[in-house]
Order: sequence, then C-alpha cells, then structure tokens
Amino acid sequence: MTSLSRYHTLYESLRSRQTRPPVYHGLDKLVGRALMRLRTRGITRSWLRSQAQEIDALAPELRSISQPALRSRVDEIRAAFARADQKPEQVRAGLAIVREIARRETGEEAYLVQLMGALALYHGRIIEMATGEGKTLTGSIAAALIAWKRRRLHVLTVNDYLASRDADSRAAIYRFCGLSVGAIVQETDERERPAIYQRSIVYGTPKQITADWLRDQIRLGRVNTAWNGRQQITMNLDGRAGPNPGPMIPGLFAALVDEADAVLIDEGVVPLIIARSRRQDDMAEVYLQAARIASKLDEGPDYAIDHLRRRAELKRRGLVRAEQAWSELAEPIWRAARRAEELVRQALIARHCYVRGKQYEIVEGKVVIVDEYTGRFLPDRSWEHGLHQAVEAKEGLEVTADRETLARMSFQKFFRTYPFLAGMTGTAADATAEMEAVYQRPVVVIPTHRPVIRESRPQRVFRTAEAKWLAIVDAVVEANTRGQPVLVGTRSIAASELMSRLLTARGIDHKVLNANFDKEEATLISQAGRGANEKAGIRAAVTVATNMAGRGTDIKPDTPALAAGGLLVILTEMHGAKRIDRQFMGRAGRQGDPGASQVFVSLQDELLLRHAPYAGRLLAIRRGAAELRSTRFTRGLFRWAQRNSEARDRRSREGVLRQDDWMEKYLPGA
Amino acid sequence: MSERPTFSPFWHRVRAMTPRLRPHVQITRQHYRGQRWHVLQDPATNQFFRLGPVAYEFVQMLDGHRSVEDVWQISLTRHGDDAPTQGEVIQLVSQLYNSNLLAVDATPDIEQLLGRGRDRLRKTVQQQAIGLMYFKIKLLNPDRILSWLEPILRPVLNRWGLIAWAGLLIFAIVSILPHWQELMSGVESTIAPSNWGWIFAVFVVTKLIHETGHGIICKRFGGQVPEFGFMMLVLMPAPFVDASASWAFANKWRRVAVAAGGMIFELFVASVAAFVWIATRSGGSPLIHQLAYNAMFTASISTVLFNANPLMRFDGYYMLSDILEIPNLMQRSTSMLKYLAERILFRVRDIFPPTSARDEQVILTVYGVAALIYRVFLFFSITLYVMGQMFGLGLILAVWTAAMWFILPLAGFVHYLASSPKIADSRPRVVFTTLLLAAVVLFAVGAVPLPDRRYGDGVVESPGRTGVFAGVDGFIEKAHVRPGDHVRAGDPVVTMTSRELLAQRESLEAMVREAESQESAYLTQNQAMAQIAREKAATLRRQLEFVDEQMRMLTVRAPRDGVIVGRDPHTGLGVFIKEGTPLCELVDLAAVRVAAELPQTEGSWLFELPREQFNVELRTLSRIDRVVTGKVDRIIDAGQRELPHAALGVQGGGVIETNPEDRSGRQTKRPRFRVDIAAADGTADSIGAPGERVRIRFTLPDKPLLSQWVDRLQKIIQGRVNI
Repeated sequence: MTSLSRYHTLYESLRSRQTRPPVYHGLDKLVGRALMRLRTRGITRSWLRSQAQEIDALAPELRSISQPALRSRVDEIRAAFARADQKPEQVRAGLAIVREIARRETGEEAYLVQLMGALALYHGRIIEMATGEGKTLTGSIAAALIAWKRRRLHVLTVNDYLASRDADSRAAIYRFCGLSVGAIVQETDERERPAIYQRSIVYGTPKQITADWLRDQIRLGRVNTAWNGRQQITMNLDGRAGPNPGPMIPGLFAALVDEADAVLIDEGVVPLIIARSRRQDDMAEVYLQAARIASKLDEGPDYAIDHLRRRAELKRRGLVRAEQAWSELAEPIWRAARRAEELVRQALIARHCYVRGKQYEIVEGKVVIVDEYTGRFLPDRSWEHGLHQAVEAKEGLEVTADRETLARMSFQKFFRTYPFLAGMTGTAADATAEMEAVYQRPVVVIPTHRPVIRESRPQRVFRTAEAKWLAIVDAVVEANTRGQPVLVGTRSIAASELMSRLLTARGIDHKVLNANFDKEEATLISQAGRGANEKAGIRAAVTVATNMAGRGTDIKPDTPALAAGGLLVILTEMHGAKRIDRQFMGRAGRQGDPGASQVFVSLQDELLLRHAPYAGRLLAIRRGAAELRSTRFTRGLFRWAQRNSEARDRRSREGVLRQDDWMEKYLPGA
Repeated sequence: MSERPTFSPFWHRVRAMTPRLRPHVQITRQHYRGQRWHVLQDPATNQFFRLGPVAYEFVQMLDGHRSVEDVWQISLTRHGDDAPTQGEVIQLVSQLYNSNLLAVDATPDIEQLLGRGRDRLRKTVQQQAIGLMYFKIKLLNPDRILSWLEPILRPVLNRWGLIAWAGLLIFAIVSILPHWQELMSGVESTIAPSNWGWIFAVFVVTKLIHETGHGIICKRFGGQVPEFGFMMLVLMPAPFVDASASWAFANKWRRVAVAAGGMIFELFVASVAAFVWIATRSGGSPLIHQLAYNAMFTASISTVLFNANPLMRFDGYYMLSDILEIPNLMQRSTSMLKYLAERILFRVRDIFPPTSARDEQVILTVYGVAALIYRVFLFFSITLYVMGQMFGLGLILAVWTAAMWFILPLAGFVHYLASSPKIADSRPRVVFTTLLLAAVVLFAVGAVPLPDRRYGDGVVESPGRTGVFAGVDGFIEKAHVRPGDHVRAGDPVVTMTSRELLAQRESLEAMVREAESQESAYLTQNQAMAQIAREKAATLRRQLEFVDEQMRMLTVRAPRDGVIVGRDPHTGLGVFIKEGTPLCELVDLAAVRVAAELPQTEGSWLFELPREQFNVELRTLSRIDRVVTGKVDRIIDAGQRELPHAALGVQGGGVIETNPEDRSGRQTKRPRFRVDIAAADGTADSIGAPGERVRIRFTLPDKPLLSQWVDRLQKIIQGRVNI
C-alpha cells in the first residue's frame, strides 16, 4: 500500500468513527420510527413485485447478447451507479444484468421473489426470506449493486466457512461486475488483512470485522483527524508499513448482514472485547481462596442465588461466616470488606449460575465460553472482572491472569455505524419494531417462491423433563423406522449430549452438531435430509443440533426422504424468542417440499421456570398423567413465558443501547 | 452492597485518560453538617459541582500527568472501600467534563460538543413545556447595572444595615397596628377589578426590587449575576435573576443572605409604603394612597406567602436548605420518601437512603411529607381559584398540571413497577402490595360509608315575641327575673313602688272614712244628706278599688309562659318608669327557631332527602360546647339574596359573602336558601337568645368518601361557574 492510500484509509476510518447515529428514547422513539417509515415509504411488496416483473422482462434480450456485449453493458451501468442518484430504470437494468451474469457464471437464475429481495436489499431493507429460498443468490445480486453504488461493502455471514465459501463461489460474478472480492476469516493473516479490506466486497463474520474495527480503534487512540494522526502512523518512504501501520479497515460504507436477526438482535448486545492480560498481580491465589470460602457456605441460610439475573446475595449469616473465613487470610485484598464480599459473591455466582456444558466447556484444561445462543465455543473470549478466574478456580484449573479491556463494542453499536445497512434473515418480522427503532431499517417480508406445505404438528406438553425426553426419543424412533429423516434441535450442548446418549441407548445411529466445526457442520447438516436407502442398508438420518448449528446451509431431503414425508424437525424446548423457534422449524419444508415440525415442552423447562414460575408451578399442582393435554391455556402459558423472555432481552438490549449512547455523548474522546 | 460493584465494564473508556481540572475553575470549601465539601465553579458558564472529600481528593490528584487508572489505584490504597468505584469514577469524570470543569487530553470532538448543546437546548424546551406554570424568558445580563448599584448601597449592606432594616420594619408594623380596621376594610377595594391594573404594575415593580435585592447582595459577596429575565408564574410575569453564584460562597450565612436579599428589599418597600399609606390616610392623593396600599399588600403578603415559604422552590427553600446545611433538600427528601416506601412497603433490599445521618433522615422525611401535602394543597387551591375566575383556562391549567404532577408520576410509577431492576427480585410481591394498597384505599374511599356532614350558618329568630310593659308609673323596686329565666303566666317580673299611688290611696281611704262617718251622722238627721254621703263614699270606694288595682299592677307579671329575653329588668332598679315602658321581652318557647342560610348548591340533598333522614345539630356561638338537636321546619327555596340578619354576612362578622356595595350588609353575592330550623324537643330555651349566631351541622346519611367528594366537586363547579 502506498502512503497515500494509507492516509486515505486513515481518513475514511476516522470519518466512520465519528459518525454517531442518533438513539431515540421514549416518545422520540415513536416519532423516530414514524419519520423513518415516512422517509422509506413507497417500497412496498407490490411495488417490489412489479419492479421484479419488469426486470424479468429484460431477461430474454440479455440472455441473447454475447459475453463482450454484456461486459460493455456492465461498464455502462456501473457508471450510472457511480452517480449520486439512479433512475428506477437504471436500477432495474443493473439488477437484470447482474442476474444474467449470475446465471452465466453459476448457472442459477434468480426467481422473481429473489429479484424482489435483491431490490429490497439494494434499498437498504431488512428482508425476511424463508429458509431455502436462495438467500445466497439474492444477497450476491444485491451485493454487486450495493458495491457499485457505495464503493465498499461488507457481507456478514454466519461463520467463517460460509464467508470463504461464498466469497469463492461468488467471485466469478463479482469479477464480471468489475468488483474485487475477499474474505476475512479467523485464519487470515494480520498482514494480509489491510489489502483484503481494500477490496470492494469483503466477506466475513461479524465477529472478525468488528474485532478488526476495534483493533483499528485502539491503534488510532485519540487521533481524531487524519492530519494530526499522520505522524502517529509510521510510514516508510517505500510505502511499507512501520510499527504502527494505521487502521486496516478503510471506513465503513455498507453492510449486508446475513441472519440479520441473530447478528443484530440476539447477539446484538454481546460485547466484543479486545483485552490484554493484566500485569501479574498474584490474584490467582485469591480466587482459589474465594472459591474455597464459597464452597463452605450453604445455600439458603447463608446466601440466595438469583439464577435469572445471575446474582448472588449474601445473607447476614453468610456474611459473618465469610468474614470469619477471610479474616484469617493474609492477602491485602481481604482487608477491603466490599471487594472481599464481591469476590465471595462472584465465586458463588461462578458456582451456581455457570454450569459446565451450558455456559462453558473445559477444553484442554482451559475454560472455554459457550455461546448461549448458538451453542458454539468462543475460544478467545473470557468473562470480565474476575468471573472467568472464579470459574477457573471453581473447576480447580490453573487460574489465568485477569484481562484488562482495551476496547469493547457491541454489534448493535457497530452496525449502527454503517451509513448503509441491509440484512437478510429467515425470521425478521417478529423483530420489526426493534429493527426499525434501533437500526432505523424497515423490514420487508418477501413471499416464498412456492407455498409452504410444512405440517406443523401440535405442541406436546409434559409434566416432567424426563417424560419429555423419553417421548422425544420415541418420536425419533418412530420417524426413523418410517424412513423419515429427523433434525432434533436443542438449546444447549448439554441437552444435545443427553439426547445423543438417549438415542444411542435405543440404538439409533445419529450425528451431533454442537461444536465449532464449520466445514464438517455444513456437510453434516446438508446430509441431514438423507432418507433411508434399503439397498445400501442405510437408515434415515437423525441429526441432533443446537439451534445455530449449520445455519446458512440448506437441508435438501433426498427422494426417499421426501417420500417418507420430508424432514421432521423436533424442538426439544422452546427458545427464549419465538424467532429462533421459527427459524429452526423453517428448516423443514423448504421450497414447497413436504416436511413437519413439532415442539416438545415440559413444565420443568428452563423457559417456564425462569419466566413464568408461578403459573408453571400452579399447573404442576394438579396430579395427572405424564403428558398434559395441549390446550389453548398451555400454549398460551408457554407463549407468555416466551414473551416475558423476549421482553426481558429487549429491555436489556435497550439498556445497553442507552449506556452506549450515554458513553458516546458524555465521555470525552472516542 | 451490590449497588456498588467495584468494576465497570466501561472502565477502558477513561482508564488511560490524563485529565486535569481546568485552570480557571474556582474552588471553595463548604461545610455541610460537619462534612467538608468542595464546590467547583466555572465562572464562565456558571456551572457548579459539589464534591465530597474522597471525590475531591480524587479530582485533586488528576493533574494532567497521572492517568485515571493510576489515580484510582492510589485512591483505593488510601481509602479502601470508601474509594469511588470504577462506575463512580466514570460518572464523575463525565459530569465534570460535561460541566466544562475538566480538561481532557483529547482534541475536542465538535460533533459531540454540538450534540450535547442540542440536547441541553431540547431539555430546556421540554422543561418549559412541562412547567407551563413557570415559563422562563431570559432578557439580559444585569451585571453591569448591579456593579454600578452595589457600591452605592454598600455602606448599608452590613450588620448595621440589617439592624436598621429590622428596626424600620418593626416601627412600620407598630405604626400600622392602630389602623388595623381600616387596613382590613381596604382588602375589598384592593381586590376589586378596577384595581387590577395597578396591582399588576405594583407587583412587577416590587418584584423587580426583590430581584435587585438578590442581585445586589450576591454582588456584595463577590458573586456574578449573569442573567435577568421574566418567569411566567401562574400566568403572572415575575422577574428573576440568576444568583446561583452564591452557591459557591463558603460561608453559609452569606448564601442565606443572598436568598433572603429579595425579601429584605421587598419588606423595606412594604415598610416605606406603610408610612406613605398612613400619611395619605386623610387628605393627600387617593391614588397614592391606594398605590401605597397595593405596594404594602403585594410586598408583604406575597413575600410571606410565596418567597418565604420553604415548601416551594423559592427563596425560603434555599434559605432553609442552607441553614439546615442540606443541599438539594427537595430532591433528596423525595428520594428519602421513595427509599422509605421501597423499604417499608416493598421490602426491597440492597437500597440505601440518600443519607446515613439519622437527624438528616428525619429532616428529609418531615420536609418531604410536608412538601408533598403542600403541593397537593397548592394544586387544588390554585386550580380552583383560577377556575373560579376563568373557567376554561382553569380547566386547561388543571388538566395540564394534573398531568404533570400526578399522571406523569403515576405513569412513571407503573413503569417502575413493570421494569425497575431494583424490584426485579420481588416484582410479583411489589405489584401485589401496590394493588392491595390501592384496593384498600379505593375500598376505604369508595365503599366504606362515612358520616357526611354539611355546615350552614344561621341566626336565632323568634316570631312570637311579647313585650313586658310597666302598667303604671313607678320606681322599680325589685326585679324577679333575668333574661333566660322561664316564667309562667302570672309570675312576677318586676315589683315597682309608687309613692303617689300610696298617697292617693291613703287620702282616698281617709276620704272614704270621712264619707262613711258623714253618712252615719246624717242617717238619723237627714236622709237626703245621708244618701249623698253614701253615694260619695261609694264613688270613693270605687276610686280606691281603682288605685288598688293600680297598686297590684306595680307587680308586673308575665302575661304568658315564656322566656325572658331582651333587657335585663335588674338594670332598671330604682329607676322611675312611666306606664307603657317596655321592661323586657317574653319569648314564646315553642316558636323560637333558627333561620339558616345555605348556599344553593346544597339544594340537592335538602330537597331530595326526607327530613327525618338527616340530623341537624346546632351550636350557638356563645356556648359553642352545647349541642342542640334541631329539625328542619320549612325550606324557602326561592333564590334568596337577602340575609335574615346582617350578623351572618361578612360585613356583620359572619362568613357569608355579601355584596360589598350594599350598605345594609344583608345582600349576598350568590343566591341562597333559607331553612327554618326548630329545636327538636320544642324547648326553645336550649337554642339560645334571638339574634344569636348559630353554626348548624347537618349530618346526612353515611356515604362513601368518594361520592361525597364527587358531590362536592360538582358543587364547586356549579358554584364557581354559573352553568
């Protein structure tokens, strides 16, 4: 990179950093939403449909022209997109051309609904497209247009595997469009990254790109104009970077987010933290001592645990006992009563609220955090302020040094920084309000190409978790004998392992997906639709997966599977948000295929215990059979608990947003 | 405990910063209830910040070289648990930075600065919108005028000046006291509409003087006064100055003095006006007289009622706050009440009162309760007053204020119930407690029948009055009765003597005896002469009988049963009275009744309820401890405007509003009902003497409070607004 381009990168990076999108609260939120609606009116589903039909009408002519002719068409229309405003016919022509390129390069021709989706994306909408409707193709057509208009586009995918797969498989289309493309994945070398970020379209996971952005922020420090920052960034005369090469990302221009609801909402407030190990301060012993003290206290008389909020409260007796315990210890920190108490409470929280297999796993003698939404391992994250150490101490592992935060950012804040944001997801409609309020992005629901004929079987309610698991196994066995492939969704790794054990006990061959194996995961999930093959002696596939596993990869049931009724999706529990349930169930019955879904719940489910404890207990009082009749009341109860959970999460996200906003407004510096 | 976590996830935002206080920040030390505090002041923007000892030490250590992290570590080793937590440090840094008191080693971010300015402006606009009753308009910077004025007044702005001022005030009060009656009678004409314009003018001028007082005293002690303007106070423009520079004064009495300055100046004006008023009482210009009256009125009454009142955020509040050494008294007492409610009603744990000092807690609680009650009282009285004057405007004002003072807090409370993290652990219980409380209150108010009492005023009247007159001329020798005594027909009332009659009788007797002896002398000699003598004797005897009759009449007897009222016959002992002179009066027991006056709005129940369903109790003002049961005799439902007796009207010392232009004092402002009430047992002696004022209590059938209130509100609306 030349000095000039590095200076330019610095300039653009700072410009992006200084954008502060407004955050509305209270009444302003309503007004803000109404204004946003007003600004973005006109792009309705019927309008999209009519536009798509007109685009479709351009296809025969384009199909007939030669490759060089198409190339010159590209150059022509690109020039139009470089200008500030495009006429509708130019947008239509652009879309038709990219569609044709995609057809020629990958052999896939976009359907009408995909054109609608691409157009909506181009106009900065969050679109809801059912699973299996070809979001990848829709996204890549839109990506080319957006990159033409906005110069640089980040396409955010669910995992590294998808990022590199899509970057490769779509590269031909983009090249034809005169756009360069690259992918940033975990393994991408630090030194190569700046060059990749210079490309027009960059594929990557939100985590990678946000982390790079954060690293840029740390490097930039307090620099706030390119001119006064130019000295801090050492540039050699030959243009090679010095010790501080400046930012990697040349500004944030546009983002196209896949699985937008998961990224923008569910994971929206999980902060991404760049931290470094604090200097050794001999705290390791202290955490072990705290864990020992905590193990001596009794739940009930000494302390109370609030599992919902992950808080521990020391009662008077517990406090006295803890004080006695720590008064014998020599470490100075035990002399400060409040911090000592904090340490003990933290040890209690680590003991009770953090469960191995749910919140973390131990891999090679280290505590690895598990993403509670996706069930994935997050190997380079750690909890803050001693919690990680407390968990390590509890597990008797080597206590690592506390890490000190250098920078943190939530996806919510990061994606609000993009001046242009579009997204795709299977289930956005439920989150419309939040998308509109937080991201100022309207949601458009794109109809399916073919009508959905998935059978939604009635919910089954059980008195105990045990009864539920047994019934699930029975249902799996039953489907398996009929030759129907089954996908069992669990909320946690622990649950998927339990499921696996139960299935093994019944002699059902199955696959478990819950770890971080992007590529294998994709292969496994694509095989989840395999039906029985009598000749090869293969039985229908049974796959157990946590809810995010294999997102972005289609499950295509084969012919015998379709004959047996398509894929059966069993949810072993209701999730904290209806969207996630819908997303999971949507894996069956794609593109008009047959399929079925069923939800199994019990009165001992976490959802009910946490979010509707009284009602659940009330229901459990009446004796009766292990399975309750699924009535409007039970359905309502579970939905109510789910709503409570959704509301709780929403409030916590609002809180984070407000806090972020406060920091932006009232703390000096960026 | 858990409310003060040591660490904050946002620590990295300030950790490496090396801020320092801006060089021009002025620091003063103040003491509050034995604690040392430091006030940081930015003289350029007049922004203040009060810091406790530990926080101040923290800020002191920020010298532009040390990082926040380093300073925090030092503070931790020095103060342990008392050291600020990371969250508190972030708060502190951001507040200081946003008050322009802290210089930060980063180039200022223009976008952020402008955004903050916009936010501030928006907040001001919002506040103005909420406080429709307190609209503020800034006009100019009065500092130069005050800088010119202050040195002129400086010679008297000291202890001696204060003593002289107090002397003048006392002298004014003493000299006005003899004219109290006149002073009071002037109230009517003062609030007459024709005077409103003058009142307004005088009000504005006195308030200008008031604000000048604040400004000058603030200047006297070295403070800046950067702002002057008008505030729309309940639709009345009131000037204001920004004397907040006094907050930084180290000596609390100086702070008090600035707050009191306005009242001092205003009361001075009132004293001077009092002398002018006295001087122009007889002779002199009536306009000046009236203006002086107005000035006296506004400068004293409004000052005492509003400015000195510590329950509203006027001068008295700041004085009290400074004297008690409790800054932010209002806000902290509110949080104290909130704390108490959470603690006692909701049993929330892990919360802390705004102060740990016991006596301070008591003060905050007492003040909080008082202010709350006053607020409700003020709302109702202002609203009702304005509604009475201008119904539509009053209604708008009432709705708006109700929304701001009651509905907003209520909505806030509901929001708190629904989503406050503080009560997250016990939300169902808290909601239940609240609902229970609300239910109890609603039940108590809406369903429990409570006595419903209405009051009226009346006067004792007696239609059957008989005078007791002297039958003959004579001197009163003895009085047998006193007013209030029961007499039966024929009972002696007064015994008189008459020497004339006695003499007359003696001479007549003598003449009779002479005639009789003549008769017996002539009887044998001369029949004719004897006849004449007999006739003469007979005539004389008749005359004697007449005199005897008159003699009997010297004992005046009660003509019929009744009670003696009117003059006390004893007062005439030894006095000569002529025939026909009234001695006292005799009242028919059965006929004494009370003529009661009720406003027309009470008509609903008076006509609808059967008479046996409500009790009437009477108390005379002379014997207020004695209760007489009465019964309604007759209701005269024509819209009466005339009182049965002037004693009931305001002019006669009563409470019923009368028409001030009517000399008789019996013309009421609004039409009323007249109700005749008789004593229930017919023994009228128990009621009282005719002409006596009576307070009447009607006890209606028990009724829940809510319907009583609704009833009364309707009446107020009916009464105030002539629908």
